[in-house]
Amino acid sequence: MRNKAKWLGTVMAGVMLSSALAGCSGSGNTKTEGAGNAGKSGNAPATDAAAETTKGLDTSKKVELQFYMLGDAPKDLAVIQEEVNKLAEADLNATVKFNYTSWTDWDQKYKLLLSSGQPIDLIFTADWTQYQAYAKSGAFLPLDELLPAAAPELQKYVPTDMWDAVKINDKIYTVPATYKEYVNNGFVYREDLREKYNLPVPKDIATFEAYLDGIKANEPEMQPLSINSDVKTNLMDVFREISDDTVGGPLPYGVGIKYGKPGEVYSYWGSDEQKKDLETIKRWAGKGFFPKNVLNVKDTLQAPVISGKTAAMLGDNPSRYNDTLIKMQASHPDWKLGYTSFAETRGFATPVHPIHNGFAVPRSSKNPERALAFYEKMVTDKRYNQLTQYGIEGKNYEVADGYYKMIGDSTSNGFAREGMNGWAWRNPEFMLFDKGYDGVKAIFDELDKIAKPDIFTGFAEDYSAYQSERAALEQVEKQYFYPLYAGLIDNIDEGVETAMSKAKQAGLEKVQAAYKEQWEAYVAEKGIK
Amino acid sequence: MTPRRGLLRELSANRIMFLMLLPVVVFFIINAYIPMVGIYYAFTKFDFNRSLFNSEFVGMENFKFLWNSGILAKLTVNTLGYNAAFILFGNVLAIFCAILLSEIRLKWFKKLTQSIMFLPYFISFVILSVVVYNLFNYDSGFLNTMLKAFHMNPVDVYNTPWVWVPLIIIFYLWKNLGYSMVIYLAAITGISEEYYEASKIDGANIFHRVWYITVPMLKNTFVVLLLFALGSIMKGQFDLFYQLIGNNGVLYNVTDILDTYVYRSLKVTFDIGLATSAGLYQSLFGFILVMTVNTIIRKINDEYALF
Repeated sequence: MRNKAKWLGTVMAGVMLSSALAGCSGSGNTKTEGAGNAGKSGNAPATDAAAETTKGLDTSKKVELQFYMLGDAPKDLAVIQEEVNKLAEADLNATVKFNYTSWTDWDQKYKLLLSSGQPIDLIFTADWTQYQAYAKSGAFLPLDELLPAAAPELQKYVPTDMWDAVKINDKIYTVPATYKEYVNNGFVYREDLREKYNLPVPKDIATFEAYLDGIKANEPEMQPLSINSDVKTNLMDVFREISDDTVGGPLPYGVGIKYGKPGEVYSYWGSDEQKKDLETIKRWAGKGFFPKNVLNVKDTLQAPVISGKTAAMLGDNPSRYNDTLIKMQASHPDWKLGYTSFAETRGFATPVHPIHNGFAVPRSSKNPERALAFYEKMVTDKRYNQLTQYGIEGKNYEVADGYYKMIGDSTSNGFAREGMNGWAWRNPEFMLFDKGYDGVKAIFDELDKIAKPDIFTGFAEDYSAYQSERAALEQVEKQYFYPLYAGLIDNIDEGVETAMSKAKQAGLEKVQAAYKEQWEAYVAEKGIK
Repeated sequence: MTPRRGLLRELSANRIMFLMLLPVVVFFIINAYIPMVGIYYAFTKFDFNRSLFNSEFVGMENFKFLWNSGILAKLTVNTLGYNAAFILFGNVLAIFCAILLSEIRLKWFKKLTQSIMFLPYFISFVILSVVVYNLFNYDSGFLNTMLKAFHMNPVDVYNTPWVWVPLIIIFYLWKNLGYSMVIYLAAITGISEEYYEASKIDGANIFHRVWYITVPMLKNTFVVLLLFALGSIMKGQFDLFYQLIGNNGVLYNVTDILDTYVYRSLKVTFDIGLATSAGLYQSLFGFILVMTVNTIIRKINDEYALF
């Protein structure tokens, strides 16, 4: 009996150990589970779709569409969904399920949604969700042939140059938003303090520094500049935008391209230009404009400005500035927030590229035509559009003097303005604005006068040939360049030299050369000079 | 032939027992063995338009990003080193505290202590990172405010890599001690009172009893826990490192582990192939380690080995 027990014990132990081992292989495998289907189910609808375009839209079978958007769902989503479904069932014999990823780890979730093979009919795309790369790698269905049959109205509604602008390898993969806005950065600063201490208006790096000096001297308890651990995005990239005339961005792997000379690609990393920028940031760090341990600060940039802990942000876009202003004045009506668009110094602004907001049909979609037909309704049908942008009139909002007005406040109202993050299906004809948005509109009107095209976003980098080097460079940037970006390294020449030698070891030259080649081909193809 | 016949007889003799085992076996086949097919991703260049086995086979190409960076050895050493420290200090400290607690006779005090030690286990690393930042940040941290109050020079903890080796270990222990202690406490409770009574009659004092009865009796539990822990020795405590260190590249030399490195690298380049290759490397390394340690333990004492 004792022997038997021992034998069983061994089996049990074996099983338990295998579970431990399974645990180890987990990170590699669990994520990829089921992805094998992605390809299989992917091909089928594409061919079906091609066959059906000749027949026009077939709505004989009832379907449920899976709609995916980033961010957090509004509280009243279920109510809105029900209303939309009433319309959609009558019009298209379809219902829709609105799904949201929440902002936590949205980038991972987004990748998984596209690679797991789970059926999805519509998904949000943007330059910042890597639309170009995904389109290139075949994650979305080409829409060129689907559009005329499934969504002819939508095809007519979106201008041809916008359809052309979102093309990747000569195919359309996303339906671009038509609302024109600007997301160029501008200095954000406490205007009331500027007036109080008679400081200069920030217009460029020098005046901004003078402003921060004044804050430091007069408000010793205040932190002059709001910055967090993502010093690349929030400090370096913005700094380069105002100071180095970058073509757009963020530019990866230390590549430098100037808007004024788009044909020339140089290495920003290791250049004198970079060293000069880093000197300035080091000086700022030395003056105590931001905390020494900035690499471990996890606040958002806006929160400390709203609460009055910090006085300024190096750069933010007009809409977000307006949002910060409204939130700040909600609790401190006497504070003022100023804004100087970088465009004032740079002399031009670039309206968002059509790629910036869009909706695509993933490969895994089971009903691509119906999905497009539904999306057409969302954009071009006022009932669908206003319902999904502003909620139910009389319950969630009311229209007063042509302005949008929320009923109740953001806690009692279950559907705020653009509560579904419906940036992509905005239709300028049906748009309602909050009174507080007039400030942004005024900025946009100013920028309209000096608008120049965005020549960067249309570029689709294909990094499949150097993705292992790309991953290695990411490490080098975090380990060796971030401390420089945070002004922590005293000897900049030495610091840059170390970082460059590590970057070269990781394959910088190969990656930059490949990027340059692709960029030059793009510039030549589009005739950008 | 004998072992096979033995197995068959075993199967028929204990039919019910094996039937009871069946769900577990099925569970592991479905959840642990079938997904192993995914290992193949490590050797392919995954294509959205084609299925796994139709994607292009690229051999060891995906592993290159691990070697190319030239820091694989450092990452492996860091990962192993931290985990070894976690396992060693964690277990020794847990045994020590469990013995101390088991000797306390005052019941409410014992319960209270145990609860207090257990509480940190429920605190998330996100919150821990905020606490740590407020303790150690240069400008307004607790430590530097204290030092300044005593007219001493402030220290810049976040720019001093070596400090983080003990700090990370301490925070790990602080968080997990209560949990692992419970296991040992349970094992101690399982030791028959008779041993202690007999030893008391023989004149053993409390130190004798602990050293000659409790500690040897815990050896088995210790070895099993050790082997289990070794299986995941190549898995760092991702959230601990990720939350405490985050973007602070200054500290990477001593605090970067495989998991954080892989996460950072692949956050920009999402590629199933690369991710799987990193996972496979970790698993393989862990597997070899478990096998080696288990063989050593079997050589020393057959009874303690897992298999």
